[in-house]
Amino acid sequence: MSAVTTHHDAHGHEVPYEVQLRSNRLGLWLFCFSEVFLFLALLVARFYLWGNTRPELSQVLGLLTTSILLVSSFFMNRAETAIAHGDRKTFLNGLLITALLGTLFFVGVVVMEWNVFGLELELFGVEWFGHLRPTDGVFGGVFFAMTGMHALHVLSGIVFILIVWANGRKGHFSPERHWGVEACAIYWHYVDVVWVFFYPALYLIGHVA
Amino acid sequence: MKALWYFLTSSFTRGLIGQAIFTAIGMTFVNAIRSVMGLEANAEPGVVFGALLGVFGFLLGAGVLTDWIKWIFGKETPLRHGPPQGKPEWTRYLNVDYNHKVIGIQYGYTSLLVLLVGGLFALIFRIELAQPGMTLLTNDQYNTLFSAHGIVMITAMLLGVGAMVNYLVPLMIGAADMAFPRLNAFSYWVGIPAVVLILAGMVVGGWDTGWVGYAPLTFRAPLGVQLFLLGFYVNGFSSIAGSINLIVTVATMRAKGMTLFRMPIFVWAAIAAAIIQMTATQTVGVALLMNVTERAIGLSFFNPANGGDPLLYQHLFWFYSHPVVYLFILPGLGVISELLPVFSRKPLFGYKWIALSSLGIALVGFLVWAHHMFVAGLDNSLRIPFMISTLFVAVPTGVKFFSWVGTIWEGKISLETPMLFVLGAISVFLIGGVTGPILGTIPTDMHLHDTYWVVGHFHATMFGGFIFPFFAAIYYWYPKITGRMYKESLGKLHFWLMVPGFWVMSLGQMATGIMGMRRRIADYDPALGVQNIHVLITLAAFVIGWSVLIMVYNLVSSARSQELADPNPWRSRSPEWQIPSPVPEFNYDVPFEVVGDPYDYGLSGVAYIRMAPASGD
Amino acid sequence: MEEKKKAAYRLGVITFVILAVLTVAEYYASVSLAASAVIMFIIAFLKAGVIVQNFMHISRLWREEGH
Repeated sequence: MSAVTTHHDAHGHEVPYEVQLRSNRLGLWLFCFSEVFLFLALLVARFYLWGNTRPELSQVLGLLTTSILLVSSFFMNRAETAIAHGDRKTFLNGLLITALLGTLFFVGVVVMEWNVFGLELELFGVEWFGHLRPTDGVFGGVFFAMTGMHALHVLSGIVFILIVWANGRKGHFSPERHWGVEACAIYWHYVDVVWVFFYPALYLIGHVA
Repeated sequence: MKALWYFLTSSFTRGLIGQAIFTAIGMTFVNAIRSVMGLEANAEPGVVFGALLGVFGFLLGAGVLTDWIKWIFGKETPLRHGPPQGKPEWTRYLNVDYNHKVIGIQYGYTSLLVLLVGGLFALIFRIELAQPGMTLLTNDQYNTLFSAHGIVMITAMLLGVGAMVNYLVPLMIGAADMAFPRLNAFSYWVGIPAVVLILAGMVVGGWDTGWVGYAPLTFRAPLGVQLFLLGFYVNGFSSIAGSINLIVTVATMRAKGMTLFRMPIFVWAAIAAAIIQMTATQTVGVALLMNVTERAIGLSFFNPANGGDPLLYQHLFWFYSHPVVYLFILPGLGVISELLPVFSRKPLFGYKWIALSSLGIALVGFLVWAHHMFVAGLDNSLRIPFMISTLFVAVPTGVKFFSWVGTIWEGKISLETPMLFVLGAISVFLIGGVTGPILGTIPTDMHLHDTYWVVGHFHATMFGGFIFPFFAAIYYWYPKITGRMYKESLGKLHFWLMVPGFWVMSLGQMATGIMGMRRRIADYDPALGVQNIHVLITLAAFVIGWSVLIMVYNLVSSARSQELADPNPWRSRSPEWQIPSPVPEFNYDVPFEVVGDPYDYGLSGVAYIRMAPASGD
Repeated sequence: MEEKKKAAYRLGVITFVILAVLTVAEYYASVSLAASAVIMFIIAFLKAGVIVQNFMHISRLWREEGH
């Protein structure tokens, strides 16, 4: 992936790979820092409007989706470590597993917690589909805003992973040059870090109203 | 005729076509889903989705996404330099280009255009305000005009900051371009559909909430308010991308020997501004999105009827919107610091203090936002700390003023147009600054909030901190950008019309405010006795408008005049003045090395940079 | 090379185990102990810290060489 294209020109003003890599890395981290303010604003809204209360949500679903995302981070890290050491098979498989787990998380949130298809299922004493509506006052508003904004980033992360996987299959990355993979990994772990804060804020902190 | 063809096939036109097509697709898509799901007819969700998809369509049509799309398919994309295939040089400015100087100029002329449009709105409602009674406009038209004036002027200022920062910073640090040229092009082009949305909002019903867009008032506004909120939101992407680009560029691409305290002072100002843009913009994004979604799909955040709180909107909104005013003025104040040594032939007094004061203003600027909410119903335990922090921002600002005095003191001052505008900026910003504390003090703010005093205060700070320095920068760097000299007599005419015009307008606004004139109202009671002042303000506004047109004429006609023999007419020590005008494509043939301090004017034998011998030697 | 690879994989596993333990602790703290928001945030910061350092390799920002 040509994310580290150097600027070519007649006077040889080519930016060396190492310099561009440092720039790319700093740029991505600054983007992560910038987005902290986005997610922080949502957290502020949650605490401002909900105080020390929270809506009734399925703890099983919350713990399950959280675990899936953490496992996906494990596989993302494994994939990035693999390409850094030339282990192409682990690299490609790791990416696919990460994308799969990410999709499971997305389904868990959109199909089950949000319940966009309006389904009902009780199994092992657990309600598998959520009941909160977006229009249910500030509980609905903030919940859907937070999980929605996060889900958008999960979705784009999955797309990013699949693009990296497709280019990886064409032989694009090497242990010395794999910025595209590193960028994808940083972005995916960032999405995980956001959930590390959102999960307790939505499911664990405060008492049920 | 050929020029028309180049215009019609430019990125700009293709982008607009893309925006139109994708807006239609988005609206159709949402309305189709709504009818399939059996929901009752409501055009608004379709408009919201269409507007956002339209922005994507613009970017696609303009061609700014093309390289990145190629990356998705694993293709190499060498950076194109020069105009599109077989087209003349000037078409670069209408098309996607990756050179920071081209992008800077694109930002520059777009900024001036948008400024004129916003000014036109003001002139129209100023005619209405010159007499009591509604003579020209309906209430709704008036409300839309002042609301649009606000956001359009803010957009013009953001574009102007983009112009100065993008053109100058790589040159000043000795780099060939910004760290991310394609992201730079994106930052410029994403602003265009944002402006389109805002202007479109004016014709689909307009809106009456001012540029602040307070919820729940927005819930009762016409459809135009959605396009305004979305346009405002989309513009944020430009800010965030541009600021990240700037910070990385300064961090990784400085010339050899250029330590942080040996950079031109403008770069410090740009960094401080970028820090604000990179962070605070995200919170207003959240506020705007919540506003949009509460209206369009019924999520609850701000409507008390559903358990929401209007104050939350104000907190999230002003957490950005106060720091943004420092974003507007920091580059301008940086221009003042940059030009004073050159036109006084003296070192910049207190360089380190000035550099750190830019960061100081940015930092303190984050701690004052609730002074916009003193009468919103906040508890005293919250209001008083904000009063103290608000008054405190005068300290780093004062550092700059005293340093400027120290710079000019006993200097060999020459009063060409750039220097005139710098001195004008200082005088106007001083008025703006001293009319601030009375607003920052709670008991007096309770009388002046929402009056024309506030309008006078912020016009003075904005003109002094941005407009005057921006014009100074345009005149000053014009010979470097074009290789020709603007007409000095017209420049002086511009100045001597604009300064008294502005003083009359600003002092007049403040006077009416004290006499009881409210802001954001279309009409007023003649018994207030403010009508004569309103007539003066309106006349002054027209004088300012004409003076700006004189500048535009000057810039355009001088581009066809004789080429300048001297690449450094101001005898500046700054790196960009040591290379030919107009600046070559990659700026510096060979990188230079910094061997001294930037502002040792008037001292002998103290070089700033050592240019390497030209290639070919 | 093989040693470094094994060590790197192992670090990933250890990090994941830390995250799993902290997640169980945070769930238990909330549901059974009704822990305060402060405790929950402390645990969250610990989890985030371990991800940012071991998975995202933030210290590469300060390292001079390309890798």
